[in-house]
Amino acid sequence: MTRVIEVPAHFDDRSFEQFAAGFGAWPAEEKLLVDARAAQWASPYGLIGMLTAGQAIAEAKGERPLFTVPISDDVKRYWARVGFFRHAAELFELHGRVPKAAATGPSDVLLDVTPVRAMEDVHQVVEKISDVSSRILHGELGLERGAAGRFSMALSEACQNIVEHAGTSGWVAVQVYTFRRRLGRRVAVIAVSDSGVGFRRSLESTHASRFGERWGDGAALEAALIQGVSRFRDPGRGQGFKGIKGFIDRWKGKISIRSGSARLSIVPAWDDDVPLADHLPFFPGAQVQITIPAQEAESR
Amino acid sequence: MIETIRIGHLLRETALSPYRNLVTRPTGAAVRTRIEDALSRSDCLTALLDFSDIELLDFSCAEEIVAKLLLAQASHRPRFVVLRGLRDDQHDAIEQVLTHHRLAVAALIAGGEPMLLGWVLPDARAAFTCVCRLGRACAGDVAEALSWPESRASEALEALTLHRLVRPEGDLRYPLLVA
Repeated sequence: MTRVIEVPAHFDDRSFEQFAAGFGAWPAEEKLLVDARAAQWASPYGLIGMLTAGQAIAEAKGERPLFTVPISDDVKRYWARVGFFRHAAELFELHGRVPKAAATGPSDVLLDVTPVRAMEDVHQVVEKISDVSSRILHGELGLERGAAGRFSMALSEACQNIVEHAGTSGWVAVQVYTFRRRLGRRVAVIAVSDSGVGFRRSLESTHASRFGERWGDGAALEAALIQGVSRFRDPGRGQGFKGIKGFIDRWKGKISIRSGSARLSIVPAWDDDVPLADHLPFFPGAQVQITIPAQEAESR
Repeated sequence: MIETIRIGHLLRETALSPYRNLVTRPTGAAVRTRIEDALSRSDCLTALLDFSDIELLDFSCAEEIVAKLLLAQASHRPRFVVLRGLRDDQHDAIEQVLTHHRLAVAALIAGGEPMLLGWVLPDARAAFTCVCRLGRACAGDVAEALSWPESRASEALEALTLHRLVRPEGDLRYPLLVA
């Protein structure tokens, strides 16, 4: 038997739940087919979510899943240009014609789909993004001149979490696009995902007892994002998310962290997401999305 | 005596590559070790850490370099520490990590004007600005300049001295980079 997991036509952090529900139990016992034929668009969160699923299956020594590529030539070309198929080919058995990636990525991509395996990769990610982020964040989104540095700081801290806490590698991608449905403005989006142990297991030995029966994926996310705790006993730890929250607040942005079966968000006025979504379909590791909207004309 | 340490130079030596970004804890810890090595070989009273070649300083590196360097001052031979060449976003990172530890450091902003980053009581912050403006001051000078009772000025100067944010000489307190 092969279990078919349909990739949502419009694949973002919301429709990710439909994708996660498709897997059933983890690790899946059946052969898996990830069917992206009907895909029309995927956010960086969606793209690296698919790679995370493939990575989790490989790490669980599961059978190599199948992947049918999108029918739309435009979608295929875009996914190729951001480097998705290059990495997907290592994790999935690809079916369908994959176009060659262009030498340079599209202009709205701040960072292609990039693996994060070690601290050295965090350096590379920050170096890559620093050249283009100022032009886009200040010039296009209307953030203050120093925004590129703050944006890179958030990116650096989010990527370091993979190396320090996940126990495995992960993925990052950064893109600018128009957020029509919820905001009607351009946004810069950082998406970071790993297939590691997740927040609950990472914090369990040091913080579970404090929460008693409340301990679970949601409580672990709350401890990390709201209370700033870390599994390390060093009192200076846990400041990365605190700093990111400061930037989010300043730019009226959103941060959302999904781990295991819960998702915790700091929700700005322009979004209608719930702060804590619990009892979601299980998905391995942790997925972080940071969304920074173009500033409204009067605040520029 | 002032020992100037160019952080960008140390970063390039440490990472063996032309990085301009101070990111990740291991990098920050390695740079801090280099700073401590340099200071251990120096007779200086004041360490001037120059960040002007640095593009980005993330929270992890701000913690590893600045906060841990100041925390270690308590156990090592204490020095006065001054930061120079910081950009606005780097101020944010240092301000946050020092506030977390209830520490503070003096920094020179563009134009050479001194400011405090981190946590001190409001009176100490006002006294710091006053000492820098006057060039040197005793409790009576600060009290007169700020229209405070002398005991209040004295407490504020004591807090600055304790945090090693002014240089004491008898009853007088000097800004850190004034000879």
